[in-house]
Amino acid sequence: MASTSRLDALPRVTCPNHPDAILVEDYRAGDMICPECGLVVGDRVIDVGSEWRTFSNDKATKDPSRVGDSQNPLLSDGDLSTMIGKGTGAASFDEFGNSKYQNRRTMSSSDRAMMNAFKEITTMADRINLPRNIVDRTNNLFKQVYEQKSLKGRANDAIASACLYIACRQEGVPRTFKEICAVSRISKKEIGRCFKLILKALETSVDLITTGDFMSRFCSNLCLPKQVQMAATHIARKAVELDLVPGRSPISVAEAAIYMASQASAEKRTQKEIGDIAGVADVTIRQSYRLIYPRAPDLFPTDFKFDTPVDKLPQL
Amino acid sequence: MHWRRKWQPTPVFLPGESQGQGSLGAMTPGIPIFSPMMPYGTGLTPQPIQNTNSLSILEEQQRQQQQQQQQQQQQQQQQQQQAAVAAVQQSTSQQATQGPSGQTPQLFHSQTLTTAPLPGTTPLYPSPMTPMTPITPATPASESSGIVPQLQNIVSTVNLGCKLDLKTIALRARNAEYNPKRFAAVIMRIREPRTTALIFSSGKMVCTGAKSEEQSRLAARKYARVVQKLGFPAKFLDFKIQNMVGSCDVKFPIRLEGLVLTHQQFSSYEPELFPGLIYRMIKPRIVLLIFVSGKVVLTGAKVRAEIYEAFENIYPILKGFRKTT
Repeated sequence: MASTSRLDALPRVTCPNHPDAILVEDYRAGDMICPECGLVVGDRVIDVGSEWRTFSNDKATKDPSRVGDSQNPLLSDGDLSTMIGKGTGAASFDEFGNSKYQNRRTMSSSDRAMMNAFKEITTMADRINLPRNIVDRTNNLFKQVYEQKSLKGRANDAIASACLYIACRQEGVPRTFKEICAVSRISKKEIGRCFKLILKALETSVDLITTGDFMSRFCSNLCLPKQVQMAATHIARKAVELDLVPGRSPISVAEAAIYMASQASAEKRTQKEIGDIAGVADVTIRQSYRLIYPRAPDLFPTDFKFDTPVDKLPQL
Repeated sequence: MHWRRKWQPTPVFLPGESQGQGSLGAMTPGIPIFSPMMPYGTGLTPQPIQNTNSLSILEEQQRQQQQQQQQQQQQQQQQQQQAAVAAVQQSTSQQATQGPSGQTPQLFHSQTLTTAPLPGTTPLYPSPMTPMTPITPATPASESSGIVPQLQNIVSTVNLGCKLDLKTIALRARNAEYNPKRFAAVIMRIREPRTTALIFSSGKMVCTGAKSEEQSRLAARKYARVVQKLGFPAKFLDFKIQNMVGSCDVKFPIRLEGLVLTHQQFSSYEPELFPGLIYRMIKPRIVLLIFVSGKVVLTGAKVRAEIYEAFENIYPILKGFRKTT
């Protein structure tokens, strides 16, 4: 638990002897200490983190938190709302047996849609095990798009999926559109459209995808050893350098490279298996494979141990 | 000065004046020459000439055009000029009438000289043999590509001016289909020119599939005639070309990755979504689909010259991203 209070813009407290020193926060004691002389400058600083850590398997009835969820100032504006908890004693029920204060629902109605979208984003990211930094970036992107209102007519889920896609790209670990489709209810076409609109609205751009971005993920999903993965990366890179596959999507080229590397090693995988993992049709893999097959000896790395020699590779 | 009146200009629309109409007469494709537009009425009004020596008139033309050239370079891309073919056509018709009259060549009062002419095609004397190209120096370091985009599709709309009963049209006309549950218009096709029309009950019609502006207009007229023969008081109001699509081949492979890196704010290249690069040119407002093979599709134009201009703008950029292997 880290105490936040990052409001360095407001000169609240400084050490009298060292006004330039940045105070160190000791959260256990609630103190702010000057690192130069050790003077305790501010004490009893209120920690705005969450009171108790909540886990998803805890029963909801016994939530010991008395202060609600941790503050989320970057995202929902304000987040100041009133929540009335469910009553426990007999006095909280009126004569008909209904609970008196039913008003548990109205919280930050202006950003209700945004909170919903954040929940959806977290769910989607959880399905493909995306780390927290990508989810935070997605939330930020969604907030920017939502505030701009230029894409107001589009379904929030579509915008959320597209933001997730952009966040993965921006973090350097791109996911294919098909992978995002798999965890979202939106079609690839709609996600693609929203993606282009968001790039235009936020006036950003993303880097082009390369074959190497997907190698580690696909190969580990296929349980291929490291040598095969490295060989496949090398093959794909060489194929693009030698321009054997002009106009082919980098995903298809990566797939064909994985197929070639796995067929040359002890761990053979069929086109169908590779296609299932990557969401690529096996005809597409076949097409790309046919393009790189003639130059197969040049594409393999020099130190590769062939289980099946190059000339015995399957020819489709 | 009655000798001036003998020359009657042929009725050719100049895109410089009639922007929205788009019919440019019988276009002769394949002439990649841009020459300044001559305002429509210069031939009619007598121009004061100092002397009838043709050489000094040429000098005067040169002086005027050099001034205009400087003006043009100051306001760089104010207004790129449209189809030069009409100008060439008009100038060739001028040639025809110059011969018999044997008079001095017309003064080029091209106030709207904005397009750079091609190098190497500027004769000193505008004789009847060579096409009328200006004598101004070309802007340096810009060569023409020699490739002309071919028009593939023209979409136009016209208002027939009366409400139509789509059911009777569908029942009585040949080659008409009407499925109101799917789409609220009659889809009619004719063989010559090979086009398809969507005819709506409000009387408005969309005509697609023609390969030139004249063909589109002719086809729209034919559809209007069909509707007229079925008994409706069809008129031919507000014919307007809405979209023109052209395509061409630069004959060399292109490095799309490089292009998207340098022209990020105009290009969008997502190989997962579409294999071509989508380039949105700001001026003229044209969308180009650029493919690895070197084929280019241009769309979004309202007049033919926008397509030519867009291609001339993109060609040097594409040459810079030619694949070297």
